[in-house]
Amino acid sequence: MRANRGTVIGGLFVGLAFLTAGCGSSPGAGASPSGSPKESITVASFNFSESAILAQIYGQALKAKGYTITFKLNLGSREIVEPALEKGDIDLYPGYAATELEFQNKAKGEATPDAVATVAKLNTYLNPKGLEALTPSSAVDENAFAVLKSGKWGSYTKLSDLTPVASQMVLGGPPECPTRPFCEAGLKKVYGLNFKDFKALDAGGPLTKAALDQGSIDIGLIFSSDSAYSTGKYVQLQDDKHLQNADNVVPIIRKDKANDEVVSVLNSVDAKLTTDVLVSLNKKADVDKEDPDVIASDWLKSNGFTS
Amino acid sequence: MTFLQSAVAWFLDGAHWHGTDGVPNRLSEHLLMSGVSVLAAAIVALPIGIGLGHRGRGGFVAINVSNVGRAIPSFGLLVIALQVFGIGAKPAFVALFALAIPPMMTNSYVGITQVDPDVREAARGMGMRERAILFRVEIPLALPLIMAGLRTSAVQVVATATLAALVAWGGLGRYIVDGLAQRDFVQVFCGAVLVAVLSIIVELALAGLQRLALPRGLRLTQTTSPDVPRDLTTGLKAA
Amino acid sequence: MLAAGVLADATDPWIRWDWVFRHIPVIGGALVQHVQLTAIAVGIGLLISLPLGFWAWRIPLARGPILSLTGILYTIPSLALFAILVPFTGLSTLTAEIGLVSYTLLILIRNVVVGLDGVPAEVREAATGMGYRPLARLIRIDFPLAVPAIIAGIRIATVTTIGLVTVTALIGLGGLGELILQGLINDFKSPLLVGAVLSVALAVVADLSLSGLQRLATPWSRGEGRA
Repeated sequence: MRANRGTVIGGLFVGLAFLTAGCGSSPGAGASPSGSPKESITVASFNFSESAILAQIYGQALKAKGYTITFKLNLGSREIVEPALEKGDIDLYPGYAATELEFQNKAKGEATPDAVATVAKLNTYLNPKGLEALTPSSAVDENAFAVLKSGKWGSYTKLSDLTPVASQMVLGGPPECPTRPFCEAGLKKVYGLNFKDFKALDAGGPLTKAALDQGSIDIGLIFSSDSAYSTGKYVQLQDDKHLQNADNVVPIIRKDKANDEVVSVLNSVDAKLTTDVLVSLNKKADVDKEDPDVIASDWLKSNGFTS
Repeated sequence: MTFLQSAVAWFLDGAHWHGTDGVPNRLSEHLLMSGVSVLAAAIVALPIGIGLGHRGRGGFVAINVSNVGRAIPSFGLLVIALQVFGIGAKPAFVALFALAIPPMMTNSYVGITQVDPDVREAARGMGMRERAILFRVEIPLALPLIMAGLRTSAVQVVATATLAALVAWGGLGRYIVDGLAQRDFVQVFCGAVLVAVLSIIVELALAGLQRLALPRGLRLTQTTSPDVPRDLTTGLKAA
Repeated sequence: MLAAGVLADATDPWIRWDWVFRHIPVIGGALVQHVQLTAIAVGIGLLISLPLGFWAWRIPLARGPILSLTGILYTIPSLALFAILVPFTGLSTLTAEIGLVSYTLLILIRNVVVGLDGVPAEVREAATGMGYRPLARLIRIDFPLAVPAIIAGIRIATVTTIGLVTVTALIGLGGLGELILQGLINDFKSPLLVGAVLSVALAVVADLSLSGLQRLATPWSRGEGRA
């Protein structure tokens, strides 16, 4: 057939289109060829200091391997952070496995104390969205409820002990606590605790602790990895009926940024994170008022991730 | 549902009208705290302002306490009070009390000193003693400005009481603060509307009271509207 | 620790200089952002208030409604006004500026009116007698004589706005309020004190500068004692 100019040019364009489609902007699951510039990754955190520290740890570990890291710390609650990840405004954040799962499944109650199973279930929701939860660490930070040791309820040790007396107690926590499945709503459902009143304070922060100290609340939400527990001032009531599930720290990442190297770096960092490590990192932030980036870099250095 | 429909639904929801977090309780907390703070501040500020004005001394302090007060951010004042006094009603009261003093002190001082000296002379000439001059001549004539100061303080206290929700106190500000924390913008909006309406009602009520407080003789001779103060340095907006 | 009283506990003194030095870029950034937000608010406020104030002065029937409306706006607490706007304009600089500008209007318009009111009638008549047409008289006589009052208004509006900008930290903006907020969330005195003190200092500097400007703008009053 006679190839006229139009066909040739058209063919060239089609050919170009095929060629460029092959070289996508993201390397996907394959490792980037050596010598090409590494990914830029945006790491975000929730708006409390432990989350900022974890985000800094992930980010700085990746930075040490040559990735360009942008931090968007203290972005807000999960209601803000997760949609941002879905949209691609951020690429990675340190999540807590069970709470992430219950957020994805609209509180269906599928999380269990088994971290691996919880993460597997979580991925069935995340993968279709182009997201992924990597290997969970053994470090756990879950909702925990505490009473003042020197106060009226200081002799109690378990949440189930409170069933007969809950109606005399005022619960303090973050404003969303009454409706959250791992907070007041869950306490009511699993333990049958109907508190006298609820006071909106902060998420396990200084206002909640001050309220416990002053006696304006009887029981407050203080996260299980909070350094305040190491002082012995507060009694963490045991979650004997397992309301809280496996809230292990786990990186939640966009699949298009999760190449082999990134995954291996994050997993090796997670392997070294334990709950005790979290408590000690939190102490540096809460008591010594150190900055998250300094706390992170110190920890990474002493654990051999950076030099 | 459009946003505004959700807002209307919030107001119509019975659950929002009873209990600790219900509108009546939050409203009464807000009004009580505001009233007590302004009253306490008045007890301190008015005698000082009037006294200094009557003696014609301490003008520098009485006038500049408002200039200084205007420069202090009320948000910062609240959090500092929190650090010193802990959470709850105490830091809120201390911050609001401190905020309410300057307008009343300055305005009562200016009000007394601006009483026409001829009137004072006339009273003295009539044989009135100092105390009588103060209570029967100076204070009544200064009343419009004293009331203006009270009004400014009250409106500012009601406004700043909104922020006091941040230091774990109650009041109508709770809806805004808790709503922002949970991204529940309907709650935020409805709380804000409540606060705005309350502030406007307080302002208008006190403006009316101010007009009533004007001695009849003065009311007839008043040429400028009482909303345009003769003293250009008043007018405080802290929160 | 909260409620440690005025005597801070050992781990959290009222000011930690090592923290301050380490965070100078953050503090500087907050200060710059604070100045920007203030300047935009007062600038736009002035642009709106000059014509509105003129009309309020010129048209007696308009004066009441204009002053009442801006007065009502002024009464609304800032957090509430920002909160009312957020569902429509988001957690953005726009929301903050709409609110901040609104609060400058009452002060500025009122001072424009008082300033123009304060021009002695004899001066105005003399100008007309000299052949000035209304617009020329407005620009070359009325407004210049109103300048002291207008600048007094700008002073009050600026100091007021500086304080209100701290509240914008609660809708996600920065400025010095961000440091105060950090002090609240982290129970940390240093950023709290730095934020509050710098806010006061900024207000004082602004007030003194504008007061100097006021004196420069009124050469005829420099001979007398009081500004």
